[in-house]
Amino acid sequence: MAIAEKVEKVKKNKSQRKRFKPILYLGLAPLFITLGLFSYYPAANGLTRAFFDWRFFEPSVFIGLENFRTMLGDDMWWESFKHIFIVFIAATTIMWALPLLAVEMLISIRSLRTQHILRTLLLFPLAFPVIVTIYMWGFIYHPNRGILNTALQAVGLDSLAQNWLGDPNTALYSLLFISFPWIASLPFFVFLTGLQNIGTEVFEAAAIDGCSRMKRFFLIDMPLLGRQFRLLFFLATISVLQFGTSGYVLTSGGPDNATMFPILRIIGVAFNGGDWGYAATLSSTLFILTLALSAVILFISRGEKQNVRSL
Amino acid sequence: MSVLSKPKPRVRVNQRRKTEQRILIFSLGFLAFLGLFPYLFMLLTSFKNTQQFVDSYWGLPLPLSFENYAAAWGQTKDYFVTTFIVVGATIAATLLLGLLSGFILSRFVFVGRNFLFTCVGLLLMVPWIAALIPLFVLSKDLKMLNTIWVLIVPMIAGNAVLSVILFKNFIDSIPQELFDCSVVFGASGPQIFRYIVVPLSYPIVGTISLLTMINVWNEFFWPLLTVTDDSLRTISVGISFFQGQNETDYGALMAGYTLASIPLLFLFTFLSKHFLAGIQGGLSVSDK
Repeated sequence: MAIAEKVEKVKKNKSQRKRFKPILYLGLAPLFITLGLFSYYPAANGLTRAFFDWRFFEPSVFIGLENFRTMLGDDMWWESFKHIFIVFIAATTIMWALPLLAVEMLISIRSLRTQHILRTLLLFPLAFPVIVTIYMWGFIYHPNRGILNTALQAVGLDSLAQNWLGDPNTALYSLLFISFPWIASLPFFVFLTGLQNIGTEVFEAAAIDGCSRMKRFFLIDMPLLGRQFRLLFFLATISVLQFGTSGYVLTSGGPDNATMFPILRIIGVAFNGGDWGYAATLSSTLFILTLALSAVILFISRGEKQNVRSL
Repeated sequence: MSVLSKPKPRVRVNQRRKTEQRILIFSLGFLAFLGLFPYLFMLLTSFKNTQQFVDSYWGLPLPLSFENYAAAWGQTKDYFVTTFIVVGATIAATLLLGLLSGFILSRFVFVGRNFLFTCVGLLLMVPWIAALIPLFVLSKDLKMLNTIWVLIVPMIAGNAVLSVILFKNFIDSIPQELFDCSVVFGASGPQIFRYIVVPLSYPIVGTISLLTMINVWNEFFWPLLTVTDDSLRTISVGISFFQGQNETDYGALMAGYTLASIPLLFLFTFLSKHFLAGIQGGLSVSDK
């Protein structure tokens, strides 16, 4: 007891006087030098260069809001946000519904062994590199040899077969359907851990009260998953704004700009157009937008700080 | 879930339950099959030569052709070497930065501690695209373009953020008594770090390593834009180049995809707990 009290005292003394301890800052130096040079500086530089006419091999000139004026008239840029909006709607509806359904079914299985095996199988697609998934789906959509069209022809639905990625009407939706049924995904995890953490007493109490499975889903599971939904909403906002790898790899933003996303536009302006200043303007806009949306979501779901801190 | 049920004819209830369970298992099995189908198709096709692919689109004709793998390996082996170097270096640096900084930020009280930790956390809000172009120009000015360093160093900066946060949170959760006890017995800061913090942090070390590996493996735009030397391409970009080289040779293409998947599949199979925690980006870790 005496020792514990002493320790308590020492601890208090220590925490009361904050100190400069050079060795500690030295220990943190490698981290902050790396981050300073390769994270803070580029991000800050991007925000500044947005106001410059900046091209390779030429001195950059301050031009004020000129780039932003160009942006206002950039149809391709604004159109890309329409596409992003469609992606966002899909990412927060069907891409949640199927994983949630799978989770509900999974936790209703009574044999824990079966549950574990099925969970592993359902998540297995996550183990494949993103680029492999994208190319495999590119092959699924291939107009002549693709799995989808071959399967449609095999069952006599030739009329439905089409050039999925080559047609402006279907290209965007085809990209959205990549990795259907979307069960090997973050929402699946989050819902699963969420429901597993609820505790069986709640479900047992519901069962004793004669609550049907459907009723339980709407009256118990859904409300108790509120925190998870907020978290996923936050994650979806950030990730959807940066959506675009599949569009770059499979369609290069085409056909007819049907799969143009903000990221692709920025890369196009910078690396094909060579207009670095304008690209910085676009990426800064996206950056500010991300911050603003995150701030709004954090504000709405305040009180859940613990959950959001580690993102 | 519940074992309690109304006093009804037991047999019939049990029968109904069994059918229900079977339907559930079957439906989930079907969903799992649906998700895995593209990859199964990939695996099957990787064993077919061109003629076999035409003759038997869905099936698996014998004999298996392994020449696809020989061709794919010949074209992609440099990418694997590069990627493993990048992965190894990034993981080592990320762990070192994370452990050391996490320990300092978690267990010492000094001026600016909270401010510095907030600064690290803020980086989670910065989308990579915001810094892409200045980072590219910086790499050019530092003469790093088209070297292995341009692949490694920005990766370290990118992955260190979550690493520091996860390590800090984890070290926060180590009972204070352990540290008090060490202090009473006269352990110094470095000793506490070496003999208490590092050994206890192994679970997070596993998570961070896998997370970093997955991130490096899947990184696409950065290596695509900064490296033109073929032998310096990482796997994601390399596969994309490989795709361009073998446009219609589906067997070879799918063999290449399979090869590119093997390391991650291996880790998923044998370290699935860490793997899943890594994909969640430590969500579960911080949830507690």
